[in-house]
Amino acid sequence: MNQGTRESAEHARPVMIHDPTLRDGHHAVRHQLGRDQLRRYAAAADAARVPVVEIGHGNGLGASSLQVGRAALADGEMLTVVREQLSHSKMGVFMLPGWGTSRDLKEAIGHGADVVRIGAHCTEGDTTERHLNFLRDAGVEAHGVLLMSHMAAPGRLAEECRQLVGFGASAVGIFDSSGHYLPADVGERIAAIAAAVDVPVIFHGHNNLGMAVANSVAAARAGAKIIDGCARGFGAGAGNAQLEVLVPVLERSGFSTGIDLYALLDAADLAERELMPRPPTIDSVSVVSGLAGVFSGFKSRVLDIASRERVDPRDVFFELGRRQAVAGQEDLIVDVAMELSGREIKWPGPGKSEGARDRRVRRGFE
Amino acid sequence: MDQGSSLNVAVVGAGLIGIDLLTKIKRSGLLDCGLVVARDDQARGLRSAAALGCRTAGGGVRSLAAGRQGFDIVFDASNAVSHAEHWEYLETLGALVIDLTPSMVGHMVAPTVNGADALVHRNVSLISCGGQASIPVLHALARRYSPSYIEVVTTAASVSVGRATRLNLDEYVETTQAAIRAFTGVADVKVMVNISPAEPPATFRVAISLAGDDFDLGVMRRDVATAAAEVRAFAAGFDIAACGVIEGKAFIAAEVKASAGLIPRYAGNLDIINSAAIVVAERYAAGRVPRERP
Repeated sequence: MNQGTRESAEHARPVMIHDPTLRDGHHAVRHQLGRDQLRRYAAAADAARVPVVEIGHGNGLGASSLQVGRAALADGEMLTVVREQLSHSKMGVFMLPGWGTSRDLKEAIGHGADVVRIGAHCTEGDTTERHLNFLRDAGVEAHGVLLMSHMAAPGRLAEECRQLVGFGASAVGIFDSSGHYLPADVGERIAAIAAAVDVPVIFHGHNNLGMAVANSVAAARAGAKIIDGCARGFGAGAGNAQLEVLVPVLERSGFSTGIDLYALLDAADLAERELMPRPPTIDSVSVVSGLAGVFSGFKSRVLDIASRERVDPRDVFFELGRRQAVAGQEDLIVDVAMELSGREIKWPGPGKSEGARDRRVRRGFE
Repeated sequence: MDQGSSLNVAVVGAGLIGIDLLTKIKRSGLLDCGLVVARDDQARGLRSAAALGCRTAGGGVRSLAAGRQGFDIVFDASNAVSHAEHWEYLETLGALVIDLTPSMVGHMVAPTVNGADALVHRNVSLISCGGQASIPVLHALARRYSPSYIEVVTTAASVSVGRATRLNLDEYVETTQAAIRAFTGVADVKVMVNISPAEPPATFRVAISLAGDDFDLGVMRRDVATAAAEVRAFAAGFDIAACGVIEGKAFIAAEVKASAGLIPRYAGNLDIINSAAIVVAERYAAGRVPRERP
């Protein structure tokens, strides 16, 4: 860090900045970033000494689909373009088991991915076992991350993270995929995880309630060593922790990032100019999606479908929250919108729900 | 049921699938469960099997040879990686093997589409729960339309997804994709899997999208309704939740409730593949067992 934001640098605690602008930002542009956009931002981030530049479809390797949107470029094309631009920064990728497979991981490693994040819904960490094992055996730096983490209590998150370390993760942590947390929520969860594991802890903030930078600082203070941020907050819905704000705020708070401020600001300006029609803003729908605790990546699809069905997108988000939809369940949006519009495409069929019986027999799984 | 006229079957694997399968075997008039085997680490499942009145063994697939009598059918409800190894051994026993893991080893069967194939193959693969729930519909639509792309997204309740399935997500995706390609002739196929922790648990759901043809809603609904009615003949909780043409793409959502037995209604993922296993086994049994004359 340069240019006079340093406070007692000799005592500054290091945090590593992880930059998923070219992955999470994809949600804001329907996964349509092209080669030149990837190339230019990757070069600018590399020049700013951002430690990790993560790229890919917004939902990760193998996720290009009708369900969440098809990407302009294949995974391999994105990796090839970005790899050429990085000489200081590591190249990161992200994958959700069930969406991508080991085949996608092998391909990404073949294209020079240095850091691989394997994600799972916050209570389903055991779906990552095969892939984290594979990465450990392949000698690739592997992060295990829990999505939609507001849906689980601190103790459960700590337990899941401990399990991810056992599978082979060299860093573990939580995503605030809905932008639902307040700083105290984050501090409590990061502290619980940091007490449970002996590897670096990760925090990834979203900005639906205007808390992404504050939450990230709370995470660092509670012991997180890897913090995610995106240029101009480029990301789903209200966007992510804004990288070029996050870095100087962390430095002023007594953490060191090793990032060059002016070069980072240049990268952020370039991102605004080259990557996005406009920087993310906390619009009314994003506030509601954060309050409802629904994955921010649903936003474009919810707006499309709500407008087609002439229903209020805020109602759609609250109903999705009530149904506890998790990332990946975009197919529920149509059902919810049609139900709200009264234009259901449901068919009368046999076997209506029998709540009492379900409660009785669920014990079979406990 | 007269002991002499039913087939002696064994179940390998005592996870969520194996135990539900056992309850379905016990209801069948044509099948008798002679043994449930598992590895020792599934002792809890074996206790459930014993509580259901079945003989059990903890030494894995090789325990099958210890019994005095041979088995007519062996169901493999273990995991995809083990199945290839199991098959090497099971092939020597001469039983019909019905594989409930997504191993891609055996001949793939969806009962309403090519159920008769089970009579001429010795290793029958039931693909996956998502395959069983989507292929009848996709097969019907692929006969009428020529889609360029098919996508299937399955969502199962977390509590209904056991450890083997969680470890086999790669195989689940790849085997289901391969099966859909084989049954529809469409090369570009994508399958994705969600696990939902929602409370109360979400009913098993399969969202199907087809792109690349001129889909007629009325015709499509008739085809889908016919395919669904055929599936309901063996899996009564199979239902179409949505069927529409949206922005030129066909979209069908099927939901499967477990229709009977000890498992909760939402666990249609277990119910549909196990019901398929039973219907395949019973059809095989009907061919083997001389019917009593009236």
